[in-house]
Amino acid sequence: MMIRVMIAQQKKKMPATTENNHNQGSFLGRISIRRNQVMSMSMDGSHDTECEEMELFQRHVAERFAELLSCTDEPEAFMSIGWLRKLLDEFLCCEAEFKAVLLMGRDPFQIAKPPLDKLLPELLDRIIKSLDVCNAVSFGIDSLRNIQRLAEIVLSALDQTLIGDGQVRRAKKALSALLSAMLHEDKDGGITKGTERSRSFGRRGNKDKDRSAAAPFRSLSWTMPKNWSAAKQIHAMSSNLAAPRGNESSGLALPVFIMNTVLVFVLWTLVAALPCQERNGLGTHFQMPRNLSWAQPITALQERISEEWKKKEKKGTVGLLEEMQKMEKIAQWLLDFADSFQFPAEADKLEEVKAQVEELADICRKMEEGLEPLQLQIREVFHRVVRTRTEFLHVLDQAAKLNIPTS
Amino acid sequence: MEKSFSFSSYHFSAASQKQRDKDLESSSSIRGGPQWKSAGGEEELAAFFHDHDTILQVSEEVDGFLETSATTPPLLHVPDCVHRLTKILDSMVYRYNTGKSKLGKDAEDDDLFLAVVDRISKISAILSTFPCDPSVLDKTTFSLEKAMSFLEKHLCTILQDPKSSTTTTTPTSSNHGSFRSGSGSESKPKPPKKSSSFGSLTQVHDAALCSPFDLVNLSDPPIIPTLSSHQDQDQDTSFPAFSPEKVSLMNKIASAMIAAGYQTECCVAFASFRRIAFKTALQEFGYVSVGMEEIHKMQWEMLEGEIATWNNAVRHCITVLFNGEKKLYASVFPNQQSISQNLLSDLARAVIIHFLNFAQGVVLTLLTVEKLFKFLDMYETLRDVVEIAIADGSYLERCRKELAHEIATTKLRIAEATMAMFRDLENSVKGDNDRVPVPNGAIHPLTRYVMNYLEYACEYKDTLEQVLRQCLHDDYHSCRYYSPIRKIELEEDDGTPKNSALAIQLMTIMDLLSLNLEYKAMLYKDFALRSVFLMNNGRYIVQKVKGCKDLHQCMGDNWCRKRQSGLKLHHKDYRTETWSKVLNCLSTDGLQGNTSSVLSPRANKDKKPKQEVKDKFKRFNSTFEDIYKTQSSWVVSDEQLKSELRASIAALVIPAYRSFYGRFKHHLNSSRHVDKYIKYHPEDIEALIEELFDGGTSKRKS
Repeated sequence: MMIRVMIAQQKKKMPATTENNHNQGSFLGRISIRRNQVMSMSMDGSHDTECEEMELFQRHVAERFAELLSCTDEPEAFMSIGWLRKLLDEFLCCEAEFKAVLLMGRDPFQIAKPPLDKLLPELLDRIIKSLDVCNAVSFGIDSLRNIQRLAEIVLSALDQTLIGDGQVRRAKKALSALLSAMLHEDKDGGITKGTERSRSFGRRGNKDKDRSAAAPFRSLSWTMPKNWSAAKQIHAMSSNLAAPRGNESSGLALPVFIMNTVLVFVLWTLVAALPCQERNGLGTHFQMPRNLSWAQPITALQERISEEWKKKEKKGTVGLLEEMQKMEKIAQWLLDFADSFQFPAEADKLEEVKAQVEELADICRKMEEGLEPLQLQIREVFHRVVRTRTEFLHVLDQAAKLNIPTS
Repeated sequence: MEKSFSFSSYHFSAASQKQRDKDLESSSSIRGGPQWKSAGGEEELAAFFHDHDTILQVSEEVDGFLETSATTPPLLHVPDCVHRLTKILDSMVYRYNTGKSKLGKDAEDDDLFLAVVDRISKISAILSTFPCDPSVLDKTTFSLEKAMSFLEKHLCTILQDPKSSTTTTTPTSSNHGSFRSGSGSESKPKPPKKSSSFGSLTQVHDAALCSPFDLVNLSDPPIIPTLSSHQDQDQDTSFPAFSPEKVSLMNKIASAMIAAGYQTECCVAFASFRRIAFKTALQEFGYVSVGMEEIHKMQWEMLEGEIATWNNAVRHCITVLFNGEKKLYASVFPNQQSISQNLLSDLARAVIIHFLNFAQGVVLTLLTVEKLFKFLDMYETLRDVVEIAIADGSYLERCRKELAHEIATTKLRIAEATMAMFRDLENSVKGDNDRVPVPNGAIHPLTRYVMNYLEYACEYKDTLEQVLRQCLHDDYHSCRYYSPIRKIELEEDDGTPKNSALAIQLMTIMDLLSLNLEYKAMLYKDFALRSVFLMNNGRYIVQKVKGCKDLHQCMGDNWCRKRQSGLKLHHKDYRTETWSKVLNCLSTDGLQGNTSSVLSPRANKDKKPKQEVKDKFKRFNSTFEDIYKTQSSWVVSDEQLKSELRASIAALVIPAYRSFYGRFKHHLNSSRHVDKYIKYHPEDIEALIEELFDGGTSKRKS
């Protein structure tokens, strides 16, 4: 609104300055330049459209994340696979709208001038950084699949009419490996091998019990480079993220800032939710802008996830993914059951086991159905931002050519 | 007979009890069915004696039981042979676990063991449908679980270390083929055909600052494609390195595990270990994981090397490793197609996405001209190796669509980058406005660079054509990337591929180059030198085009003809500009009227014509000398052009001088200092003309 008032004022002043301008000195000359700018913006009414577009973009971003905030039920419970898929959908929509607001029908010139001349390259740099995060979480999904296989072993062991020592022993091995995979996921870079405990095989007098036998297996940096850290990457993406101030806060700098924020937030959420290499210190906030209506749902989401993260960080778990949280509890319960198992088990205990197994089966089913699409979506994000980067580079390139005419 | 003792020679000792595997012992000794409570006890296990025959006998009884229970209504009573066989299995597993026996040492022992496992597995399946004493089922399933557990461990041990020879077997024990997939008719990875690098334009210009005459050979000999010596590495690689015996054993173990419902354990073991094996194999090949940001920041010199490694690794992986892997699964899971497919799909997906990430990362770097050929190498690898493997690989059914899409996307990115690099080349050619002319009208480094670049580009003719078309056909890009400088005017050319996108691209660059050269020519103040410069560069361009079949084909005969007639015009300009002055000196116009009097010795009273002749000779001498002085330092590097020029000059000057010389020579015979006026014989002039355009290398011998 502010802008419109200012423009209106400028418009009123115009005739006077125009008259004087013809035979006046440099001061008025400057005014006339400003006038021309205003003129060119408002001539075809495009400026008003632009304001509307920007307001609409902000509102849509707010709405999208508000909806994510309100998701509590199946199949899109907070931080579940379904929820993450929705999150990525929303991200892709925001991204498309952002490009429309910033690029469509716009003179490349406008994009190449301050403050965008600085902000856009920063965004492009963030995009490069985001690609590594996409890859890391995508590999994380591979290790979730491995966990899913282990859970399926537990299912085939315990989903039986008779639960005897053999079944319990089989389940116990898988459960140990599963819990160990969850605990060590961070450090292993995603690969957990076998149903484990084969490390101790053959060593006489090995005191390993099933419980601790799943020795963490060091993978040979197949997935991400050895010293790569998701937390550091996210930090590098968010550290120089500053809200536009003053005049900039209403111009094109704003959608760029919104897009930056959305990008960092979404990737941060993925890293928190999925197994990912090196996440120490991920819980530290990146500064979310206050008092901006579009940012409130994101801020709320971020606070909620941060809290969850703080609770879990010390335990070094597989991530905040709802399915994993549930699975961890079930696995723990089943392992306790297995530890104290005596054949034949009491009937009511078996009932409980049955309930737990059913729930585990439900989780496995969700993973089976959801992980692959989620991984494809992450890949889609990867391709999309690469494409966006190319498009922006092209526009900047064009602007540069227009700017410096070949002599 | 010896094999029957492999389970029989155990003597209980107190010491071995302490070495027991707690895992094996588990909690079974506490409980157990009433009949055979002590079966799990370690002493019993150890003391339990089985010879081959006993095992066979019990097995037969069990078979009988299995047969009848399949047809008759369930029995409440489980026969004793079941208990005995369970006990036998327990003791066998115990011996394996304690190292008293070894799996893979003797194929018959292995088979005997696995046959017992199979029977117990069947018994367990049948008993679970029985309303019998649950403790019996508990016993058999527990026994089976221990056996499975052992098999899984053993499988992991084999998988973990393919090359170890701990489980040596007699070589006759297997029918399975060898896995040395690198040998024989197996297709080896084709080396990237052109792997040399191309300098950047700025490098050329840096070099141009040194000495103009060093430029003669600068980047001139066409870069000869070199084969990377890296290629021989995979010659002896056998992958996977499992001996046939081990493959056979893995097959037996996998079959037993699958039959007993332990398929998932088996697959998990394969998936993890084979993934690690792949990673290791590729690391040995020099390929390591690099992050996208890291690639983006990498220096080109280093990235160039990484790309070469990548090309080799991808080819090796697809042609050697994947095929080896396929064979391995075919042998280990001969009747489990879906298992092989799933395992292979997962593995291939992970590995290929990894490869593609690298390519995607490379494309994110600053797109400058010198990178083009490396990018095209990657494109070709993707197209010729990966894409084909995906399309052919029925074993990749599960991920084929996704991978095909991924590869297509990556190829498109490379194609876009190629377009961007051509734009970069165009801009570089357009924007190359150095204000210092190349000395002596020599070939400009830009000309050399561009022509060599285009010639080299023709090595990738088909790929480039494909790439450019891909971008042109993409509407989205066509309006953004395609420069409108040249509309298709190829139609008039005969013998030219009419619709070649590459030809259009090459034309565009040639045109830009010509425009730029014309601009550069203006930097010379001497009009004649302008013509020489244009001739030199024009000649070089035409010769390059004619010398390269592909380039010639793209540009067409008509283009060459046009260029050549253009050169003739420059030649004419040069002749007029330089030599008409000389011819003017030799004109007999002023002398024509009174030739007879000049020639007549008696007309000695008239000194004026004699003086005129003297002046004419003097003017000719000085004009010619000036020209000689400047133009002998000019450069014409093309020998043919040089001799053409000299011949044309000689044809123009020599006859005129000869006749002038012939007519007026004796006129001055009587004069003093005749040498001053008649410095040159026509032959001298001829010789001197032969020294023109030598870049000042042949000094006039005086």
